[in-house]
Amino acid sequence: MKITIDRGLLLKALTHVQSVVERRNTIPILSNVRFDAPNGQLSLNATDMDIDIVETVEADVASAGSTTVPAHTMFDIVRKLPEGAQIELDASGDDGHLTLTSGRSRFSLTCLPPEDFPVMASGELPHSFSVAAEDLRSMVDRTRFAISTEETRYYLNGIYLHESERDGVAVLRAVATDGHRLASVELPLPEGASGMPGVIVPRKTVLELRKLIDEIDGDVSVALSDTKIRFTFDGAVVTSKLIDGTFPDYDRVIPTGNDKSMEVGCKVFAEAVDRVSAISSEKSRAVKLNISKGNLVLSANSPENDSATEEVPVEYDAGDMEIGFNSRYLLDITQQIHGDSARFSMADAASPTLVQDTGDTSALYVLMPMRV
Amino acid sequence: MSIRLLSENMINQIAAGEVVERPASVVKELVENSIDAGARRIDIAMEDGGRVLIAVTDDGCGMDADDLALAIERHATSKLPDDDLQHIGTLGFRGEALPSIGSVARLTVTSRTAVGDSAWSITVDGGDKGAVHPAAHPRGTRVEVRDLFYATPARLKFMKAPQTERNHAADVVRRLAMAHPEIAFSFSDGARSLIKLAPAQGDFLSAQLDRLDAIMGNEFGDNALAIDAERESIRLSGHIGLPTLNRGNAALQFLFVNGRPVRDKLLQGAVRAAYRDFLAHDRHPLLALFLDMPPELVDVNTHPAKTEVRFRDPGLVRGLIVSALKHALAEAGHRASTTVSNMALGALRPRSESGPSGTVLPLRPGGGAFGGRTAPPSSLAEAAAEYLAPLDQAHVSGTFGGAAMAPSAPAPAIDEAPALEEYPLGVARAQLHETYIVAQTANGIVIVDQHAAHERLVYEAMKKAMTEGGVKRQVLLIPEVVELGEAGAEAVTDRAGELEALGLVVEPFGTGAVMVRETPALLGETDVVGLVRDLADDLAEYDSALGLETKLADVCSTIACHGSIRAGRRLNGQEMNALLRQMEATPHSGQCNHGRPTYVELKLGDIERLFGRR
Repeated sequence: MKITIDRGLLLKALTHVQSVVERRNTIPILSNVRFDAPNGQLSLNATDMDIDIVETVEADVASAGSTTVPAHTMFDIVRKLPEGAQIELDASGDDGHLTLTSGRSRFSLTCLPPEDFPVMASGELPHSFSVAAEDLRSMVDRTRFAISTEETRYYLNGIYLHESERDGVAVLRAVATDGHRLASVELPLPEGASGMPGVIVPRKTVLELRKLIDEIDGDVSVALSDTKIRFTFDGAVVTSKLIDGTFPDYDRVIPTGNDKSMEVGCKVFAEAVDRVSAISSEKSRAVKLNISKGNLVLSANSPENDSATEEVPVEYDAGDMEIGFNSRYLLDITQQIHGDSARFSMADAASPTLVQDTGDTSALYVLMPMRV
Repeated sequence: MSIRLLSENMINQIAAGEVVERPASVVKELVENSIDAGARRIDIAMEDGGRVLIAVTDDGCGMDADDLALAIERHATSKLPDDDLQHIGTLGFRGEALPSIGSVARLTVTSRTAVGDSAWSITVDGGDKGAVHPAAHPRGTRVEVRDLFYATPARLKFMKAPQTERNHAADVVRRLAMAHPEIAFSFSDGARSLIKLAPAQGDFLSAQLDRLDAIMGNEFGDNALAIDAERESIRLSGHIGLPTLNRGNAALQFLFVNGRPVRDKLLQGAVRAAYRDFLAHDRHPLLALFLDMPPELVDVNTHPAKTEVRFRDPGLVRGLIVSALKHALAEAGHRASTTVSNMALGALRPRSESGPSGTVLPLRPGGGAFGGRTAPPSSLAEAAAEYLAPLDQAHVSGTFGGAAMAPSAPAPAIDEAPALEEYPLGVARAQLHETYIVAQTANGIVIVDQHAAHERLVYEAMKKAMTEGGVKRQVLLIPEVVELGEAGAEAVTDRAGELEALGLVVEPFGTGAVMVRETPALLGETDVVGLVRDLADDLAEYDSALGLETKLADVCSTIACHGSIRAGRRLNGQEMNALLRQMEATPHSGQCNHGRPTYVELKLGDIERLFGRR
């Protein structure tokens, strides 16, 4: 293999693929990125055996071939080369090394045989549809904060993507929960998604995907079976295993009969929560909400008996109530609400509270109170 | 094969299998007999690890000829006068020891009562009983066991090396001796005397401490806290070691119930619970506890060797032990064990004791090989000035009340003298390496590890806040169902009230499972299933929610660690003194969360010894 490639193109592709490569590996070849150079293109492939990413870039191929080199080292080198440099990669020697030449720099990297590089068998992916990158971004952004990190409940360590319906309209819905709060976001069901199985996309895949589609315009095409999912966009293909588990029946925990409804300016509320919680020095920064007609009093205490209160005007008509929350959870949710105001629907101090953007019904959040 | 009744000798040999496991069990049975006979002095001799000879001689009440003949019969005893197993006041009661021993060895019992005009003797040889014949012996009884296990060769093969068997026997004697400080004990293996204990004098607790001191080492005596508590006719006495005196295993933890050494899980659990805050989980304190209770509240007839007992109300006993221990430890306040200062002294003392030249040479200016290492005096003074700088500043600014303490101002120091004596941890003099505070007390110096000390203070404050304010609970969106099995689920739901106080709300969910509705907010997102399973195990084993308490304490101590001043932080005089005063006012401040000491005290006498002045 012998190719010449622009540093900018190679860096961008390497930045994308190297991030799935784990820093430490028991199988040496998993630390490597695989280069494949057929005609006029270079494709880079990295995997951690759960996620597989392939990105293809333009390159000037002098002789076709393939090899694998340590991904992080390669990334480091290319990153440090000057902007606009041309890079020549040559692995045609039979000493098992790849020579990288650029300007007056020259590196020799040990290769591992490309045929040992694990190939992820994606199998057949019977369901496919496409989603606007912007929609996918907003879906991920508004749910990922609620993904559980507790590994014993592995089936919560991802986003549950499935077909559903609301008010008779078919939707594609993403749900994540960590057992304390839940986030649910939906889109009109894309064409071709009808009949798809409900799948749990792992946390790492979600985060990698989010990085990759950060600057993408246009559509992302999604193909999936009940064990694998593949996202294709802009020269990159990400294939991931899915979490093999049953997502809990989340519908049952979304309250429908909460009749105490409070509307509050989102920004004002979030800032007040943030200020008041500064007082509580503990790990579980609890804030208390005392709600009466037209008025909300936020308060917090510290074990040293310091206290803080702040009043926030709200629209509220039901009877007085008092409820406690983890302030971090409140802030996580209010950050996702981009509209002007949020609606809190409550029942009592021990039951789930429903939070929604008053101007946008596509997303809903459920938060469990804290007993303070 | 037809069924037949076993011969008497066979029955005795089978019983011996349970009672006479090894030479140590022979020693245990015989010494218990002597104690039951009211002896004031018991001598034990052993040869070749008990294989050749075990002899126990006492000055107890003795037996006459008729009793002697009966004593070697199975199920013959003088210890159950009313046929009442509910009120057992003696160590033995089964009437099995002598016949069992006689069935597997050559046994000779020689005894004389206070009123008898001569001693009598009887021999049992592998089950063959001889006749009672007159013999010469002072008042009391001597039991000789020769050729142990010669009649049961299988058991003989399981005997360990003589030293091992001897050590086991010595261990048995030590345990019994702890419980009976008024009796003199001696134990020899033919060649040398391993144990020699004079009867201890004084009231019960001090006699006991003398005896424990003699057995567990002086270190224990110096660092023991007396326990004396009573609840509902159960009395707990004994001594426990300070947490800073600890070991890698629980071998030096003893529990006695009505004078009987027992091994009981209940003790382990109670001790862990009481010391939980002071010791790392793999360190164990030293202690000896004595429970005295009416015989009907405890069943000793659960095991032939009687090393296990059953309490009628284990919860009460456990509660008594935990609260008495916690109370004693809280009273000890900031005391750290003297072992710590002894260790420090040991480390400071010049290594070579061989001759004076060895210790003096390096100190001589320009002395040989050490000359190069001696820092020039000017830099030493500079360094000292740097360390003392904060104090001097405080003195100059006048805010450090009479502070006085700066060495450059001897006059005000005299005014301060009464204050010095008032405070157990003295007045801060300097901070060394921005890590250690050196304080002067009325009769010595104290060196404080500032991080360890402050960490403990923060931790204690957090715990206090938690007990006063209650544990905050996060309600779960999806309640977690945990399968525990019927017994486990019942144990957990029985304690639901107690668990709720610790922040965990559970309710029964069908048979054999519980549903967790709320968890302690402090733990954040946690493995609920694992937590509750561990909890059920703790409840089954120790009858307390240790796991959850430990987990909460762990989180607190991590926060405490991050929230406390670190080594390397420069403190001024006021800050240092404030830390010392807080330590005096806070319980348990003598050790950090892991059982390491937070300060070392060196008495003037110790320092004088270091310089060879004493």
